[in-house]
Amino acid sequence: MQSLVTRSAASTWRSSSVRTFASSAARSQAVPTEKPVLQKEFKIYRWNPDEPAKKPTLQSYTIDLNQTGPMILDALIKIKNEIDPTLTFRRSCREGICGSCAMNINGQNTLACLCRIDRNPSKDTKIYPLPHMYIVKDLVPDLTNFYKQYKSIEPYLKNDNPPVGREFLQSQEDRKKLDGMYECILCACCSTSCPSYWWNQDEYLGPATLMAAYRWMADSRDSYTAQRKEKLQNEMSLYRCHTIFNCARTCPKGLNPAKAIAHIKMELAAD
Amino acid sequence: MSSAIVARAAFNKRIATAFTRQALRPLAVQQARTASTEAAEFKYVPGGPIYKGTVNDPTTFPPPSRTHGSYHWAFERLLSAGLIPLTAAAFVTSGSSFPILDGLLGVSLVMHSHIGFDAVLVDYLHPRKFPVLGPLLTWVLRATTATVLVGVYQFNTNDIGLTELISKVWHA
Repeated sequence: MQSLVTRSAASTWRSSSVRTFASSAARSQAVPTEKPVLQKEFKIYRWNPDEPAKKPTLQSYTIDLNQTGPMILDALIKIKNEIDPTLTFRRSCREGICGSCAMNINGQNTLACLCRIDRNPSKDTKIYPLPHMYIVKDLVPDLTNFYKQYKSIEPYLKNDNPPVGREFLQSQEDRKKLDGMYECILCACCSTSCPSYWWNQDEYLGPATLMAAYRWMADSRDSYTAQRKEKLQNEMSLYRCHTIFNCARTCPKGLNPAKAIAHIKMELAAD
Repeated sequence: MSSAIVARAAFNKRIATAFTRQALRPLAVQQARTASTEAAEFKYVPGGPIYKGTVNDPTTFPPPSRTHGSYHWAFERLLSAGLIPLTAAAFVTSGSSFPILDGLLGVSLVMHSHIGFDAVLVDYLHPRKFPVLGPLLTWVLRATTATVLVGVYQFNTNDIGLTELISKVWHA
């Protein structure tokens, strides 16, 4: 064994291309290529609740894109870490599954973590909070009403006679009906892009909540479909949707709340 | 041993009094504040930042009414869809030879525009936000629609009728 190790070590020492203990580290290591500086301006909405009389402003930050990750969220985190620790925004998963970092980037509601930075340095990127919401601070909107509305549609399975002692089975076709709805992460991008929701958000439920409502109406295991439909039989909750389709256009998950709302309307009309 | 216990009891008592003083004072301040400003500052305004109930209460629904819900929607859509063949029929026929068709077109058009204007009022001037202007304009719209309906009826029975008028203006 001892001789084997010695022999292999000796053979390695002889070949010149492999780094040995004798050769210096600098000679064999690759030299990192210096990336050029790519300065990009970000204009970010700022409002501080501690100074409520001061009007909200757009604050400008310039960072080097070649020292930043590819997404808007990376830029925001870089700004907060290195330039201005008072910049406030919500973020959590950084991969588009939590819905925390929903904001209005260059006029489009989307998730900062799924939105690539436009690398054109001559154009600035404007970042606002979700439109027509009450602002807690900077990019943080107050989503209390949004969550209260989500709660009002009872987003859970309601069935008085669930099967005892076995799984609650569903056919593959019935399960397919939930595709495109169960993926919603409630980031509120769609609801806050809807003009009807802007004007009547205390009464109109908005696309996100209505899609969640239809997700439970369409579920074959739920037995409260009639009651769920009955709740929407009024002027405000559902019928303030005027098929504007901003919701389907803006959804960062590629879902289609407008389609779900159309399904609700059809089913209510067919009742 | 006993002195240690006494010391600890005294220490606990000091902590307890400090704690109650700390806990009670903000509560009293808070009560005073809500009592003085609740009516003025934290009043519920529809669409405002003050919510009904706590953050854990779900929002409520208006009382269910199919007249304002699915019937209204279905009627609106059927009416809009029906206007297409009705308009096409008015194009190929003359109003004076088919007075029923002419009258139907007149009534449908007026109802269609009434529903459209009513949607505008519900969207932008809902009575919950505009307690005076909202109902007032709703009644103005109703009165206007009724007047226009009477006018269309008079025009269709005593004059050349809607289709003839449009064709005349078109060819003028």
